[in-house]
Amino acid sequence: MQVTDPKLVIDDVSCEFDGVRALDGISLTLGRGEFVSIVGPSGCGKSTLFNVVSGLLRPTRGRVLLDGKDVTGDTGHVGYMLQKDLLLPWRTVIGNIVLGASLRHGATRRDREEAAMLAGRYGLGEYLHHYPHALSGGMRQRVAVMRTLALKADVLLLDEPFGALDAQTRLDMQMWLLAVCRDLNVTILFVTHDVDEAIFLADRVAVMTGRPGRITADIAISLPRPRGIGTLTSPGFTGFKRQALALLHGGELTAPRSVS
Amino acid sequence: MSARRLSQHAQLVGFTIAAIALIFGVWDAVIWLFGLQPYVLPTPQSAISAVVGQWSTLAPLTWQTVKETAEGFFIGAAIGFVLAVVMSAFRPVQRLIYPALISSQAVPIVAIAAPLVILFGFGMLPKLIIVAWIVFFPVVVNVLDGLAHIDQDLVNLSRVMGARRTREFIHIHLPATLSPLFSGLKIGATYAVTGAVIGEWTASSQQGLGTYLLSANSSFNVQVVFGVTLLLTAIGILSFLLVMAVESVATPWRSRSTAPRISRPRSPQRLRGQATGSAAEPSVPAARGLASTGHEQ
Repeated sequence: MQVTDPKLVIDDVSCEFDGVRALDGISLTLGRGEFVSIVGPSGCGKSTLFNVVSGLLRPTRGRVLLDGKDVTGDTGHVGYMLQKDLLLPWRTVIGNIVLGASLRHGATRRDREEAAMLAGRYGLGEYLHHYPHALSGGMRQRVAVMRTLALKADVLLLDEPFGALDAQTRLDMQMWLLAVCRDLNVTILFVTHDVDEAIFLADRVAVMTGRPGRITADIAISLPRPRGIGTLTSPGFTGFKRQALALLHGGELTAPRSVS
Repeated sequence: MSARRLSQHAQLVGFTIAAIALIFGVWDAVIWLFGLQPYVLPTPQSAISAVVGQWSTLAPLTWQTVKETAEGFFIGAAIGFVLAVVMSAFRPVQRLIYPALISSQAVPIVAIAAPLVILFGFGMLPKLIIVAWIVFFPVVVNVLDGLAHIDQDLVNLSRVMGARRTREFIHIHLPATLSPLFSGLKIGATYAVTGAVIGEWTASSQQGLGTYLLSANSSFNVQVVFGVTLLLTAIGILSFLLVMAVESVATPWRSRSTAPRISRPRSPQRLRGQATGSAAEPSVPAARGLASTGHEQ
């Protein structure tokens, strides 16, 4: 897929563990401000790819470029969030949001003010001084998103961030994330096994298959924005879903516009 | 303090009184049932009155024993904590030291007391070593366990965030040791008194409750023996409660849903009204009561 203004480039990344190939020549380019979902079955190497992009894991082969700079194997360049909220139980909501600053240079008054502003803006204003255990799953994930945003990284990696939530809360969170993305010009790589979620949120959906992990299709989701509940039942949405499901489950490729 | 908290405290006090009454009741019942003579088993009342009657003698001895207990406790806790941190940071050190740790607790403490006196004399030092010897073990084991169970994903998150190693230790590893540390300290606090008494029995130039217990025992003064034992028990219980009280202040997130006012930074408090005021964007779903519990302040 042709990207005019590349922000994040995953260039021919392969990973081997004890001779077993987990990732096989993954290439994916994200344009500035683009939202790309990776959808695939469990065990297809999504999380391995994630660890490579975040810099936690050095790939056997290939590079990761951020703004044209080689950041392969370097951490500290991207925001990162998992299905587990990983909130620190001894820190309040605001304390958790400024964790990145605490870990880098120590949270200043300014960091806390910005965190309070961010939290207030996205529906956490009343809970600044609550401990995580007093919050529901959805609220905790919001705090985790805020913690990721507070780092001011312009590339966010989200690994099934809403995977542990119930269906209603998940939909709420997806719409909330769309609103947050519209405000802040961030580039997002979003990993999920939920086809609906992948299509609903993204500009492009990359379909991944496992053993070894490969990207088999890159589908441009040309659904209009802003998206809402209506999007989920639109004919366009259903078309993309049929296409993605067919790719995931090895069915016939009937829809056009797919690029292998 | 809310009414609910108050009633919780009242319940705690009530149960404590009932528990003590139960112990003394059983004690009295045993004497009555088996027709035991006061020189075999005195009543709890007479044991307590023996302590009260001799309080002017016992007070400095109590102070001495409490001092040994507390100082040994702090030394043992500090050594245990530092040891755990060092052991978790350097895996070879852990593998080297762990067997030694277990051996240290397998050694009968009474047996080691005599050599300690030969090594360090009859002063405070051998007693402190014995108390610390007993206290450090539950601390080191618990803290080590706490450090070993830190979520690897959390450590990864911290690395991705570009954490400095020392800051990561201060903000992620260190707070995670608090809960296990206090578990270890609670066990250590009750054992520490026993350590002080054993220390006094073998290394006694200064008088303490332990030495007094010995002399009362050899003169068959059973009321004093039981009275002093009760006193030692009370010291152990109070140490335990003291550790619990410090724990509840040091780990507020375990008992509260919001941070205590005193530990909140001031600026966000002031900004709160402003911040929530700007949440007027219609597209952002509000936090429709998603919090599971209410405020508790």
